[in-house]
Amino acid sequence: MRALLLVLATLSLVACHRREPEPAPTSAEKSATTPPSAPAPVAATAETPPPPASGGATVASADGEQLFQQNCATCHMADGSGVPFLQPSIRGSAWISNENPQLLLSLILRGSAVLGEAAQAYENDMAPFDHLSDVEIAALATRVRERFGQPPPSKPVTPDEVAIARSRPGLP
Amino acid sequence: MHPSPLTRFLLLGLLTAGPALAANLPKPDADNGGLTLPAGFRALVVADKLKPLRNLVVADNGDLYIKTRQAGIIALRDTDGDGRADQTEEFGEGGGTGIAIHNGWLYHSTDSAIYRYKLTPGQLVPAGPAERIVRDLPNKRQHSAKVFAFGADGQLYVEVGSPSNALGQPDRAKGAVGQDPTEFLKTHGGYWRFDPDKPDQTQADGHHVSTGHRHSTTIALNPVSKKLFIAIHGRDQLNTVAPQFYSEEDNAENPAEVLHVLEEGADFGWPTTYWDPRAKQRKLNPEYGGDGKKLAPAGKFPDPLVAFPAHWSPMQLAFYSGTQFPEKYRGGAFLAFQGSWNRAPKPQRGYNVTFIPFNKSGFPVGTFEVFADGFSGAKDLASPGDAKHRPNGVAVGPDGSLYVSDATAGRVWRIIYTGENR
Repeated sequence: MRALLLVLATLSLVACHRREPEPAPTSAEKSATTPPSAPAPVAATAETPPPPASGGATVASADGEQLFQQNCATCHMADGSGVPFLQPSIRGSAWISNENPQLLLSLILRGSAVLGEAAQAYENDMAPFDHLSDVEIAALATRVRERFGQPPPSKPVTPDEVAIARSRPGLP
Repeated sequence: MHPSPLTRFLLLGLLTAGPALAANLPKPDADNGGLTLPAGFRALVVADKLKPLRNLVVADNGDLYIKTRQAGIIALRDTDGDGRADQTEEFGEGGGTGIAIHNGWLYHSTDSAIYRYKLTPGQLVPAGPAERIVRDLPNKRQHSAKVFAFGADGQLYVEVGSPSNALGQPDRAKGAVGQDPTEFLKTHGGYWRFDPDKPDQTQADGHHVSTGHRHSTTIALNPVSKKLFIAIHGRDQLNTVAPQFYSEEDNAENPAEVLHVLEEGADFGWPTTYWDPRAKQRKLNPEYGGDGKKLAPAGKFPDPLVAFPAHWSPMQLAFYSGTQFPEKYRGGAFLAFQGSWNRAPKPQRGYNVTFIPFNKSGFPVGTFEVFADGFSGAKDLASPGDAKHRPNGVAVGPDGSLYVSDATAGRVWRIIYTGENR
């Protein structure tokens, strides 16, 4: 009897962790069916993102959430909590909460190299994201500030501000 | 009624005698320390709320030595035989991962060096200073853990990881282009062999045994085949680097974490290739022209002996040399996985200890099963930061109990076989 139970337990465990995940909708399907303010299905246990800011930031924020999921959530996690020892939490980050976006923009454009010694606190380096356009980075930074700033900076980040950050070397 | 002096003397004798008999197994915790285990197995918490822990080793007298990730070595002793640690000491500094006992010495590694302490029989904490055996190993933070083991030849085998994902430029970024790995691999991504008794060797003094791996935090000697077995962490972020070829699911399920035998001259195929566990094929990395379908050149790199699900993060491996557990487990291996982070946005998985059966010749038969689970406290996690515990170290005690250490909340479990039917 014990042997049978052991086999059953083993089978169920094997069956459990070998289970193929259900196919996820593509990004296009998601954006077509899911309002940007709704939490993504897999982020159901994470904190619910606040609704996008009103006014001129709305369009940028809609793109910003998708850009965040595609470019940032992989390492910093969908809820911004990071990975212990590897990648920092970005919740309440001083760089993100700063009303002046230039530090954040420099970090996004050039990666953790701009942090110098401070980057030593975590094991993985952050890649530069300078392949994104000024419009994309403005939307991304705006969304990241809305979700993780404490308190969130009031103004959306503009493509012109990204162009300024891109044009100068290193930190502002 | 109080026990007579003679009974007390006999009890004391039982408690202080060498390896505990099965009848002397400690009382398990009612909740098995939060673990789920196969029928007949139970668990207890030996110590809790220590620092974030890495690998561990059990001395012949049952004393535990556990590396902390960022501080010293924690030594635990159970002085009254109830299975719970009564004495906790910490010595040394510098953090790190690897730890082993060899010929009366306690060896351990920081992220850049190998040290050893002379153990004094009966004393929990080494009396003398640490002696440095290997110094100045490459340490660029990423993949800097330096695991090691002693081969059948008595030599010291040390891993040096690759501080990289797939040697892309820029690494981990969309469109990353693979760099020529020739120079990089001369000092990274391999195992090196050293004299275990000679102080202050450098990497250049070592013999370069194998090449072409990303990071391996697992090496252990199989006592039957006398071979060293290693597990390798697969690459991350296929869909970040090449979203045109890889979906979120493709990334969550690729590539496999793999188990190999460490042979002289072996090349394990990084950074140009990876193992697709669903197709059971070796494929080209997108940094080197891969598109999710293109296969690696045939016959150039060994197939893995066991392929595990992607991103589970294999940590310490221990061969089961005891007899406390049922026949099925004897001669097999336990491998602790600390669990994924790079499956996001899919749920994080793999916070467990697996069992890997080995055949009579001391080679894996190719399968594995989850042995101990429940560490994370949830079936599916959004983020590894939500895990209550992450298994890291696994080691077999002198009585055949299995010890597991926790990379997060500093818990240490002892898993025993009682045979009871719950």
